[in-house]
Amino acid sequence: MATAAIATPKAESLGQRAIALIPGMLLLVAVGYAGKIIEQSTAAYTKSHHITFPNIEYVLWAIVIGLVISNTLGIPRIFAPGVATYEFWLKAGIVLLGSRFLLGDVLHLGGISLLLVAFALTLSLTFMHLLGRAFKLKPKLTSLLAVGSSICGVSAIIAAKPSIDADDEDASYAIAAILALGAISLFTFPLIGHALHLSDKAYGLWTGLAVDNTAEATAAGALYSDAAGKVAVLAKTTRNALIGFIVLGYAIYWSGRGQAGKVGNKAAFLWNKFPKFVLGFLLISLLATVGFFAKPQLSSLANLSRWAFLLTFAGVGLRTNLRELALQGWKPFAVGAIGEVFIALLTLGLVYGADHYLTL
Amino acid sequence: MPNTQTPVTQRTLSPDIFAVALALLAALLVRLNLIPPIKW
Repeated sequence: MATAAIATPKAESLGQRAIALIPGMLLLVAVGYAGKIIEQSTAAYTKSHHITFPNIEYVLWAIVIGLVISNTLGIPRIFAPGVATYEFWLKAGIVLLGSRFLLGDVLHLGGISLLLVAFALTLSLTFMHLLGRAFKLKPKLTSLLAVGSSICGVSAIIAAKPSIDADDEDASYAIAAILALGAISLFTFPLIGHALHLSDKAYGLWTGLAVDNTAEATAAGALYSDAAGKVAVLAKTTRNALIGFIVLGYAIYWSGRGQAGKVGNKAAFLWNKFPKFVLGFLLISLLATVGFFAKPQLSSLANLSRWAFLLTFAGVGLRTNLRELALQGWKPFAVGAIGEVFIALLTLGLVYGADHYLTL
Repeated sequence: MPNTQTPVTQRTLSPDIFAVALALLAALLVRLNLIPPIKW
């Protein structure tokens, strides 16, 4: 659940905290590996029996197994700290994924993503604020929803909450709405992408620009194809890189209204909010480009990245508790949902345009 | 309204740093052939 991701550890020694992570991490491994085994076994069985059956990726199996466990048996407290590490594995996986990109490709696709992100951000932030006003949501809750749906989901909400001095309750509402919408995106985006016959690059770019949470964007991309997953991560990483600027803008806005503390050193603020894994991703991509790694080593790094993502996808399912999400009230969810549909359509239009007028 | 603002000069290391460090360490081990080839 979202609360597990933001829970602050009690005063425990490093060793105790590390030991507390083990049960949940083993659960991530078990769920993720089960997904992989089911995919391989189903494919082998249907092939040997000449049965026509669509290949269901391990990504979907891992998420569904996690969802079933979380929403039937529930996740006992002992597993919570380890399950919350799925974001850690996501970031390590993104850094290692840098080995599959030449720096020139990163700059090319990243540049296009940046252009589209800037355009989409401006429109989506404006739209979310108009929507929040129409639904009479509290202004800071609207700000959190706008940041969450425009930039990078839960991480952006967590980054913005202290900076704009928002209530815990508002942050919980916004996080719940974004998580619920992320879960819906996971299943709808691949269906829409296939229905529109989007290319891997166009679909990956769309997913990276429109799906809020990095974990869900990565999973929704991988559900389409391996190549789409790669592009989705790159586009999402570009979007994530802007988090500091948006949060800084909101902090200055609320501070100017006397409803949040003053922002001191802006450069330090930006560095503090900047997702450091973006730098790791660029470094590995640079090393891969200059030939630092041999071909078999690049293959090992790509596989390590897949293993890290496997744990992430298991965590996405395990932390989504539909009953808890339903308890959070319909208004933030409605504003988030309408905003998401707007952002999905807007970014789809942008990707179509980019596919026609720019070389993806 | 409760003031929950986190000081910008906070010195705690973010989990991001550990994730990046682990990934870079793994890349170095792979580069130096200190771990066997990783299969999928």
